[in-house]
Parts: sequence; structure tokens; C-alpha cells
Amino acid sequence: MKFRYAMVCSSNQNRSMEAHALLKRNGFDVCSYGTGAHVKLPGPSIREPNIYEFGTPYKHMFEELRRKDPELYKRNGILPMLKRNSAVKLAPQRWQDNAADGSFDVVFSFEEKVFDMVVEDLHNRDHVLLKTVLVINLEVKDNHEEAAAGARLTLDLCQAIEDAAESWEESIDEVIAAFEAKHRRKLLYSISFY
Amino acid sequence: MASRDQAVALLCAARTHGDVAIKLSSLRQAKDILLSVDPSLAAELFPYLVDLQYSPHNLVRKMLLEIIGEISMKAMEHCHLLVPVLLALLRDSDPIIARDAVASGIHFYCAVLEEMALQFHQRGKVERWLEELWLWMLKFKDSVFSMAFEAGSIGPKLLALKFLETYILLFTADTNDSDNSVVGGSRRLFNISWLGGYHPVLDPVFFMSDANRTLGILLDFLRSPRSLPGSLIIAIVNCLSAIARKRPIHYDIILSALLDFDPNFETAKGVLPVSIQYSLRTAFLGFLRCTSHTIIESRDRLLMALRALNAGDAADQVVRQVDRMIKNGERSSRESRFSTRDDQQSNQPVISMDQSRKRSMPLDTDEQANGHVVSLKRTRYDPSSMATHTDHSEKDSILGNGTAANASLVDGDLTPAEQMIAMIGALLGEGERGAESLEILISNIHPDLLADIVITNMKHLPTTFLSLPKVGSLPISRQLGSQTSPAHVIAPPIIPTQSTSLAPSSHVSTSAQPINILSQADTSNANSFPTDSKRDPRRDPRRLDPRRTMPPAPTSIVDDIGVVESEFDGSSTLSKSSSFSVPTPAENDLDALPLNYTVNVKEEPTPELDQVSTKDEGSCTAEELVHTSESDIVPEHSYSLPDEDNRDALAVSDFEVAYDAETSFVESDEYSSPADSKECVTEETFGDLAELPLYVELDEAQQRNERNTAIERIIESYGKLSDADCGSQMRMALLARLVAQIDADDDVVELLQKHITVDYRQQKGHELVLHILYHLHSLIAVDANGNPSYAAAIYEKFLVAAAKSLLDAFPASDKSFCRLLGEVPLLSTSALKLLENLCYCDVFDSHGNEVRDVERVTQGLGAVWSLILGRPKDRQACLDIALKCAVHSQDDVRAKAIRLVANKLYQLSYISENIEQFATSMLLSAVDQQSSDVELSQSASVAQREGEVGTQEALISGSQVQSVSTMSLPEAQRLLSLFFALCTKKPSLLQLVFDVYGRAPKAVKQAVHRHIPILIRALGPSYSKLLQIISDPPEGCENLLMLVVQILTQETTPSADLIATVKHLYETKLKDATILIPILSSLSKSEVLPIFPRLVGLPIEKFQMAIAHILQGSAHTGPALSPAEVLVAIHVISPDKDGLPLKKIMDACSACFEQRTVFTQQVLAKALNQMVDQTPLPLLFVRTVIQAIDAFPSLVDFVMEILSKLVGREVWKMPKLWVGFLKCVSQTLPHSFSVLLQLPPPQLESALNKYANLRGPLAAYACQPSIKGSVHRSTLAVLGLSDEMHIQPSHVQTLQSSNTASTQAAANLT
Repeated sequence: MKFRYAMVCSSNQNRSMEAHALLKRNGFDVCSYGTGAHVKLPGPSIREPNIYEFGTPYKHMFEELRRKDPELYKRNGILPMLKRNSAVKLAPQRWQDNAADGSFDVVFSFEEKVFDMVVEDLHNRDHVLLKTVLVINLEVKDNHEEAAAGARLTLDLCQAIEDAAESWEESIDEVIAAFEAKHRRKLLYSISFY
Repeated sequence: MASRDQAVALLCAARTHGDVAIKLSSLRQAKDILLSVDPSLAAELFPYLVDLQYSPHNLVRKMLLEIIGEISMKAMEHCHLLVPVLLALLRDSDPIIARDAVASGIHFYCAVLEEMALQFHQRGKVERWLEELWLWMLKFKDSVFSMAFEAGSIGPKLLALKFLETYILLFTADTNDSDNSVVGGSRRLFNISWLGGYHPVLDPVFFMSDANRTLGILLDFLRSPRSLPGSLIIAIVNCLSAIARKRPIHYDIILSALLDFDPNFETAKGVLPVSIQYSLRTAFLGFLRCTSHTIIESRDRLLMALRALNAGDAADQVVRQVDRMIKNGERSSRESRFSTRDDQQSNQPVISMDQSRKRSMPLDTDEQANGHVVSLKRTRYDPSSMATHTDHSEKDSILGNGTAANASLVDGDLTPAEQMIAMIGALLGEGERGAESLEILISNIHPDLLADIVITNMKHLPTTFLSLPKVGSLPISRQLGSQTSPAHVIAPPIIPTQSTSLAPSSHVSTSAQPINILSQADTSNANSFPTDSKRDPRRDPRRLDPRRTMPPAPTSIVDDIGVVESEFDGSSTLSKSSSFSVPTPAENDLDALPLNYTVNVKEEPTPELDQVSTKDEGSCTAEELVHTSESDIVPEHSYSLPDEDNRDALAVSDFEVAYDAETSFVESDEYSSPADSKECVTEETFGDLAELPLYVELDEAQQRNERNTAIERIIESYGKLSDADCGSQMRMALLARLVAQIDADDDVVELLQKHITVDYRQQKGHELVLHILYHLHSLIAVDANGNPSYAAAIYEKFLVAAAKSLLDAFPASDKSFCRLLGEVPLLSTSALKLLENLCYCDVFDSHGNEVRDVERVTQGLGAVWSLILGRPKDRQACLDIALKCAVHSQDDVRAKAIRLVANKLYQLSYISENIEQFATSMLLSAVDQQSSDVELSQSASVAQREGEVGTQEALISGSQVQSVSTMSLPEAQRLLSLFFALCTKKPSLLQLVFDVYGRAPKAVKQAVHRHIPILIRALGPSYSKLLQIISDPPEGCENLLMLVVQILTQETTPSADLIATVKHLYETKLKDATILIPILSSLSKSEVLPIFPRLVGLPIEKFQMAIAHILQGSAHTGPALSPAEVLVAIHVISPDKDGLPLKKIMDACSACFEQRTVFTQQVLAKALNQMVDQTPLPLLFVRTVIQAIDAFPSLVDFVMEILSKLVGREVWKMPKLWVGFLKCVSQTLPHSFSVLLQLPPPQLESALNKYANLRGPLAAYACQPSIKGSVHRSTLAVLGLSDEMHIQPSHVQTLQSSNTASTQAAANLT
């Protein structure tokens, strides 16, 4: 595994964590982040989401929600998800604050809005290392099933990137084209620098 | 030492050991050692490192690169050995290593750049090793740039693109960033604005324009995106977007390039337009997020583009965010003005504070002084302040000093217009070199922005007219003149007054007045001649002399100067500044204010100031602030060598202070007033005064010689330094004056010519020639009442020589000649002569052969044309040339000239009349000369002939007549061509042709005949004027008329108008039916029949033509008459009634019979059948029958029928026909026996009497038993067979059967 990966979604709960978990299991060097202002989890109704700060441990959220309404959160899969997450890492992290985590080679986002924020954020950083970073957006709906499918696709694409060439720059157009053809999913990508 | 040995051992192991893992670990350890030891020690180990670049192991090379990257930053001074390795690794076969090499290189590049700036600012010079490194960096730049273009791995290319971006960012003045002071240790990227306009190694202007060029390179990539992989295009878009956001100056260009860029193409690999499109979207959204003025102004365009990319929602969201941000900003600014200022100035106050702390100078003016220093730097760094400083004079005073740039900083961001002006100013300062970039820049500026720029600059226009002594030497060349800069250059003289008047009222005057005064002077002067001062700073040695520093404020003088001194020694060259001797103007005498080099501190000396100067006395020996009364003399100040003691004492000041001083000294020589130096020149500096050259008296020859040498030298240097704007301007002016002094020295003119043509096309030569000519012209004007001849002669000579050399040097297609003539101040007669010769006269080569180059004629005529358009004064002369050529004897020349005259010049209303007159006179001369000749010859050779024949004979007769009157066809054509060419443009002119046709000689007529078809074709269907002429033709032009009608009807169906006109003409004026022939095919039967006799009356060949037309008919109606009808029509003509001789009719018949393909057997039969029933029978009927049987013997049976019918019609009663009848009968024996037998006996009798030889055969025929029975007795009696006669009842039958038999016989015959 040559590259360092980052999985980014909005709250660093579902899509990015699903992919994070899967890639981690497959031996990838991977981190995950969210770009939102807060971590949002569904609540009893749409107008009543559960909101946490980034950095709040998954375990803490798990405990809290289980206290609130174990049935509801079990049924909608939030509790299992949080449990899974807490097995992967301690707490959700915010993309915009990850400068200390070092540079990544490939960043995956799962939503256009997130992609925009990642690209914009990278753009606004000082490019000190002059290290290229590939940002790929794979559109994945924010539910458990889609997240699982998205994670598998992500793994597939990551393996393709790893296998294609010594440095992703040489092969990215082909890899993406091949992926699109194989899975009939559209990808977006951009190139930025650290 | 131990560590050194250890490192050597490790490096050797890294090189020689077989195991890669050991190699790497050794290397890693070596690296630690290298980084830990002293750089100079580490440098000793570099040779060992260098070898490793050839290692076959990628990982080793990668590690090497890492080491180089780190160590080169640390031991920059010693790493000249390592940089070549870095460059070599750029080309590494492993793209990852190549990529990392680029990255390391970029870091190193920035570091070197920064170090150079720092070093110069700190020590006033750049160390040799650093300069060497910089040379390597230039190589690095070139290789990376080429990497961006070459085919190769994408990874390194991405980095190369990043370098392009970095390069542009480095070398485009960063106007947003107020932190451009060089503060050691800052992680901020170097920016060109640090240099503040001058650096011994880095030429800011060059790099700024190079950055512009580089941007062009990036933009060019987008023009041919097909060849690039998608990832590169995305990277390029991202780079451009980053540049636009960070350097708003480039924003407009980049935005329009991105808007124009169409991502919907298939890349070479056939993929990913989506991502490319998305990168555009990201870029536009990024722009929207910016709060820069330029970008906010283009918001609508961005929104539109984003909507087109289906990103309208995202765009709206961003806009809302930004608006909220701006609103918040405004609110907070309302809350606290000062805090806002702090915010916006960002770190500026911090720096000031910082500096003051370090210097531990508890003066209350300190902070302000330092703040001011920073702003001063900014004034120099940031050309934008040049444009803005006048706008803020009010705020200046509030701030307590005249530094407008400071005020503009407080004001926040510069407007885009101001940024642009700054940019333009910088480029202008560069002169010729900048011109290219400037052109690109200006061509890319949005019109609105351009208007803003102009308006912004108008503020700098002087309110009163200033007589500026310096203007003459300012490079107000024509190009520059068209831009806004001159206003900018001229404006500053006002500034000092403005700020001066404001200064006394400033509320901080108590504490900082001296500073105000001085700094005010500094800035105003520094700004007052940006162009001049920047023009060539490097050539001025004084620049390098830090002692010429003028510290920004007296408070800092002491230590500043001290430090400067401590760092620099070397003899002062202050005295040289005396070359800028400038009068010190009285305060109120604005008009006398010189533009440059004056420090005008029009301020009453304040006590503080005095104190300061006294306080400084010890340190600045020569420093004096001389104040006389406020009203008359401007106080000057100067700073010179401080005392040694002070220097030592003050050497401890930290470098930032030194830096301050240095930055400000950049301006120093610009405003060191001469008076200063005079006053303050110390003895040691006095010795450096340049000695005055000896005055040597030269005799005339020597003078001339000197002049020539001077010119030669100027020209020689011209070639080498042609890129320096001021130099070339100066050179031009010098050359112009020198040329003006030379009296007809051919050598010099030749030399100049050669020089001019060499680079004529690069503008330089052209400019020089014009400069010289204008100078000479002005001399002529000045001398107008004196002796104009001298300058005029030189002018004339030089112009002609220059024009000739252009003709000789360049091919005919070159426009230089035309341009020269078009732009010179005055076209002399000899120049016109030259032009005329070019167009008109034959050119002969050395062998006497004609070498007219038609291209040259074209060139000449082109020049003539442009001169007619562009030089009203010389219009007539040029027109004459053109017209002269239009009657040139050589066809191709004439054709060219005629094309010019008729197609181009004739359209010009102001000369069309002249042209017409000329053409008319040519036509008339052709006609009249000849006709007068004809008259002459006629009188000479006793008129016995008429018309054309006469002419010819006249030519033959009388030799003396012949010599005058020979007008060949070519000659006639020569004179007529132009007129006919004009006719195509103005058909009414044709009238004249018709008018004169009658009296025109044959050659002219022929010429007319040749031209008419072309003309009519050219006129096309719009020949209404022609119809008018046709309807009422002048006398004598019948032939022409026929020709015209014939041409008009050729190929096309004549129009109804034409037919009507011709018919009308025939009915009224012209009785000649020939005119009708061309239109016959369009006439109907009822129209043709009435005129048919007239047609028959025409000469036979015309009749044949008419028949052809009639039978041809038109496509719509078919033929007017069928051939049979034609025959009938001919026959019905009655010689008596129609007044035609019978002979004519007979000829017409014969003509018809000749056309056996048209008038076939059937046609004849049909016609005869018709005619035989007519009453009366046509006179020529029988004759035609005879002709028919002659022509077609197989018609015999048909003819017999006709004859029988004639018998039935009692043909004997028509004597003329009866003769013919008998003749026919006798010719058609034996077939006609039966017809004969039908005749009544008396007629038979008379017939037999006439043709006695008929009797026997007829009797024999009648005797046949089958016949005899059917023949009437009386008939038999006539034949003398009455005895045997007896009637047979079936005689009719027999006759019939005999008829059948004869028919069969006839059939057998055929």
C-alpha cells in the first residue's frame, strides 16, 4: 500500500466511516473526516437532529443515544453504526482541522458539497510540501445500504489506484475511466497540493 | 572531525555496499550527521553525496534527493555542488524522483530568491556564491518550464505546472498582501514587491513581465486542451484559479480564458470532461468567495457561468455567505475605526512595534516613523501606490505625514483600476521591454476597467498648464503617448504643494512634524518620476552607494546611517549627483517647478527640526537642513557620511533598521537635490567630481569626422542595447540632430540607411527615420523665414534615400515603404517623383533590359492609394500618378492602375470628378485627335471616301499625315480603358461613348467593340441606362448599337424592356431591320410576319441570321415560325406591294433551300401544299416546285399531284406560272405525261408547240392501250391519234392504276 487515504463525508459517521472501516480491514493506510460544522445524527424527527461537536467520542454518542431512545436508534441503525465507528477510531474528526495529520495522497469524498469543501480547503492552505493530492468524489447516498455499497466501490477504486502505477498521477485518467465503465458510476476528481 | 570521518564511511557504504537496505540505512545516518554538523563541515562531504546520483537504486536516489532538499536549505552557501545533482534528478527515469526533484527545486528556488532579497536589503549587495546559485536556479527554471511542455510522466508535469503557478505568484506584485516587508524567519513566500523596484541581480521589471509571459503559457495550454490528459487540464485550471485569487491583477485575463474554455471535448484518452468541467465550477465558486473588488465586480458573469454549469444553487449560497461576511466586516468597521485599521493593515503596526521595541528608542514618534518606513518601502515596492498617493492627501495629513501610500493602505485594498495602473506603471518603467507585456496586458483589460483606469489617472492631470522643462527628454514616444501614463508622469509636480499645504494643519505636527516634512518630500519625489527613476537604475553607480541613503525620518537618521555606514565602506560618489542640478523654485512659482530631482520642503522650519539637525550634527557631518525664509528658497536637506565614532557606536542596530534605511535609499538618488551635494560635499568626496572635458577646437573636417564617428558609435550601440527604451529614445533624438547637422555627407546617410533597413521591420528603424524626419521638418518650419533650403535639402535627401533603401532592401510585398511615405511629416516633390517612377517609369537593369517588376507597380500603387486616403495635401499629386498609370502603355501596369482608380479611388467623392474628367479627356483625345487627323488627311487626299475606309486610305496617303495620325488599336485601347472601367461604375458615362462613336476613327471603334462586351457583362442586368441610350441613340452609332443589342441578347433571353425598346427604336428612328435580328427569337408569329419582308430585304447573310433567330425561338414560346411557315412567308411577299425586288425574294428562297437540314423534303411538301391552295398563287410557286424537285427527286409523285392541282386551277391563265409549269412538266417527263394529258386540248396544243419534242413521247405514251382508252378524244386528236380512239369505260381506273405504277416506279427510283 503506497498511498495514504482520507475518507471524507459530512459528519464522519456513516459513509466515510463505512469506507474507513472497510479499507482499514483491507490494510490501507486510511483516515476519515467530516466537513460539516457539527456532527449531525438523525433524531426522533427531521427537525430534531442530534448534534455533537467534532471530537466527541463515538462511544459517548452511543451511550447518550442509547439512553435517549434505544429502540429508535437501534431500529434506524444509528447505534450499530456508532458501535462500529467506535471500533474504528475514537471520535469524528473535522477535515478542516486535520492539518496536523499530515498529507494524504488520495482523498475520497462522497458528496459533491463535501468535495467542494475539501477542494476549497486544500486550495486555501499554504502549499508548503508541494505534494500532489488526488481528490475523488464518489456520490453516495447517506444511508446504511448505500454507504456499504459505496465503501466497496471505494475499496475497488483504491485497489485499482494502487495497482495501476507507482504514482497515481500517471494513471488516474485511465483508472477513473475504467471504474466508470465497470460500475456505471460517475466520478469527479481534482488535483491539489499540500 | 570524528563525525566527519564517520559520515565519509557511511556515505562510502551507501555507495558501495551491495545491500540496498544497508545503503539506505547508512545514508539515513549520514544525513543525520550532515544535518547536525556545521554547514561548512558538511560541505566537505558533498562530493561524496554527489556520486550517489548515479546509483541504480531508485530508493537511494530518492533518499539522496531528500538529503539534498534538507541540507541545501540549511547550508545554502555551500551547496553549489548539490544543485547540479538536483537538476540532473529532474530528468530521472523514475517519475516519482523527478517529481520530488521539482518539488525540492521549487523550495530551493524560493529560498534562494528570498535569500537574495534579504541579503541585498541587509547588506546592500548579493554575495557571489548566491549569484552563482541564482544562475543555477535560472537553469532550473528553464528545465522545469520545458518539462511542462515535453511529453513525459504526468507526475513531474503537475509539479512543473505548480512551479509555473509559483513563479507567477512570486513575480507578480502582491497588492493584497500588506506584509511584504522582509522579516527574517517569516514563512511567507517571497514576492517581487519585496525588491521595491531595484535589485542588482534580479530585475523586478523583467521578472514581472516574465511572469506575465508565463501566465500566457498557462493560458495557452487551455487553447489546445485536446492533447493533454484530463488531470493536467484540471491542474492547469486549478493553478489559474489560484493565481487569479491571489493576484487579482491577472484575474480578468484568467476569468475570460476560463469562461472561453470549453471543457466539452473528448480528451486524448476520451474521458472525464465532467471532472474538467467541475474544476471550472470549483474555480468560479472560488472566485465568488473572494472579496477582492475586481472579483466582486465580475460576480454577474461568474453567476451566469455557474448557472450554465448547473451550479446556480451552490453559487447563490456562496454569494450569500460572502455578502454576510462583507456586512459583518462593515459593521465591525463602524464599531471601531481604529481597530479596523489595525485589522486591515494586518501586521504593519505589528512590525512597527516590533522594530521600535528592538531598537529601544523611546521616542514618541518612533512608531510612527517606523510605520512610515514600512509604508515608504511600500511606496517603492508596490507600484500601485504611485497611482493612489495623490488621492489620499487628506488622510495623509491626518496620519501625520505625507506618505500617501500609507494612507492608501489604511484605506484597505486598492481598487482594481489602481492595481492596474500600478502594473502599467511598472511596465512603462521598463520601457521597450515592458511594451510587449503592456500591450498584452492592455489588450486583455476589460473595457470597463480600462475606462476606470483612464478616469483614475485623470486625477493626475495638472490643473494648470505647466511648462515642464523635462518633458522634452521624457520618452513620450508615440506609443507611450497613446497610453495613460504620460499624464501620470507629468502629474506629480503638483503633489508636493498639495501635501505641503496640508501638512501644517496636521494634528500630529507637534510630535512628528519634521518627519512629516521630510517624508513628505521623500514620497512625493519618489513618486514624482516613476518612469524616469526606474528607467535604468542599474547604470547609475550611485544606486549602489548606501551612503546616499536618505533615511525616512530624522529620528532614525542616526542609527540608520550608522548602520549603513558600518556595513559599507567605499568612497562616496555623492558628488556625482550634482549632475541633477535643478533650480530651487520659489514656493508660489509652480510653473517653474522642475519635474524631477527636487526636494521641496516648503515648510517653515520648526524648532524640532532644528533640534533634530543639531542633534544629528555630530553624526552627519555634512548634513544640513538649510532653511531660509519660507517664501523664497526651498530648504534642502542632505545626508552624508556620519562620523566614524558614531558609526561604531551605532553599528549595533539590528538589521531591520538597516534594512529600513536601505529600502529607503532606493529612492535616495532620485531626490538628492543638487543643492545638497553642493553644500554638503566633503573634501574627500570632492575629489570624485568628474572633471570637465577639455575644450578642443576642431576644424571643419574634424568636426564632420567627429560627427560621423559619433553617429557610427551610436548606431553600433543601438543594436546592442535596443531593448532599453530610454536609450533608444535618446539615441533617436541624438541621431536626428546629428543628421540635421551633416551637410550632404553620403557616407553617413548610407550608414544610416543600412542600419535602418536592418531592423526596419522591428519598428526601430521606422521610428528612427520618422524621428529624424520630424526633427528635420521642425527645423524647416523654424527656418521658414530664414534659410529653409538647408534643412529642406537634407530632409528631401534623407527621405528619398530612406525610401529608396527600403525599396531596395525589401520585397515588393513589404509595407514599410508605404508606411514611411504615409507617416513622414511632409512628402517632398522628389519623394513623389520616386513614387511616380516606381509606378510608372520603366526600370532598366545594368544591361539595359527592362526589368519592370509588376509587383513593384502594385507596391507603388498601393502607396499611392494609401497616400490619397491619408494625405489630403498630396492627394492631387498622387492622383496624377495613378491616372498617369491608368493610361500606361503596358497592359499589366495599366490594368492594375485602372483597377485601383475605378474600384477604389473613383468611389471617393472628393476625387471622382477629377477622375471622370481625366478619363473623358482621354477618350476625347483618342477620338478627336484621330478625327482631326482624318479631316486633315481627307482634305489632303481629296475626299473620295467616307468613314472607316477613308481612314485607312488616309493613313496610306500623305506621309506627314501618317506620322501624326497613326493611332493603333493598342493606342486607342490605352486611352479608352480607363473610361470604360469607369462606365462599369457609372453607366451614364456610356452616353458619351455612343455620342462620339460616330466620329471616332476605326481604331477607336475597334477598341470600343472590344470593351463593350466586357462592359456589358460587368454591368449585368442593370443596364437601364443603356436602354435609355438605345431608345434614343445619337447618330452614327448604329453599328455600336447593333453590337450592344447583340451582346445583350446573347446567352440570355432579352428582357421585355429591351425588346420593347428595340422595337420602339425600329418603329421610330432606326428603320434598319438588322437591329431586330437579335430579338427575333423572342417575338411572336404575329410580330414577326409584318416585318418579315424587311428581313428578306436585308443582305442575304443577315437574312440567314434572322431566319436562324426566328427558327430558334425562345425557350418559353418556341419558334415564332416553323420552317414551312417561313417558306410560305417568303412566298407571300409581293414585290410590288412590299417594295422588294423579286430577286431578293428569290435569293431568300435559295437561302432556305441551302439549309437542307432545316428545310427538308417534308417541310417543302408541307409548304407547297399550303401554297398551292392560295389565291393568287405566289409568283415564285412553280419556281419553288422546280427547285424542290431538283433538290429532292423523290418528291416527283408529290410534284405531279401539285401539277395536277395547278391544271385544275387553270394554270395557263397565269402566264408567268404557265411558263414555269411547262418547264416543270418537261423536266419531269415521263412522270408528267399524265399531267399533260389532263390539260385541255388547246393548252396541250400550245404546250406541244412550245416543247415540240414532247409530242412524240407523249403520243407513244397515249398510244398504250391502257392509257389510250382513258384519254379524251379531242386530246388524242391533238396528238394525232384520233383514228384509233375509242372510249373505254374504265379510263379513270386505268389512270389511277397508272398513277400507282408510276408511284411505285418513283419509289424504286429513290
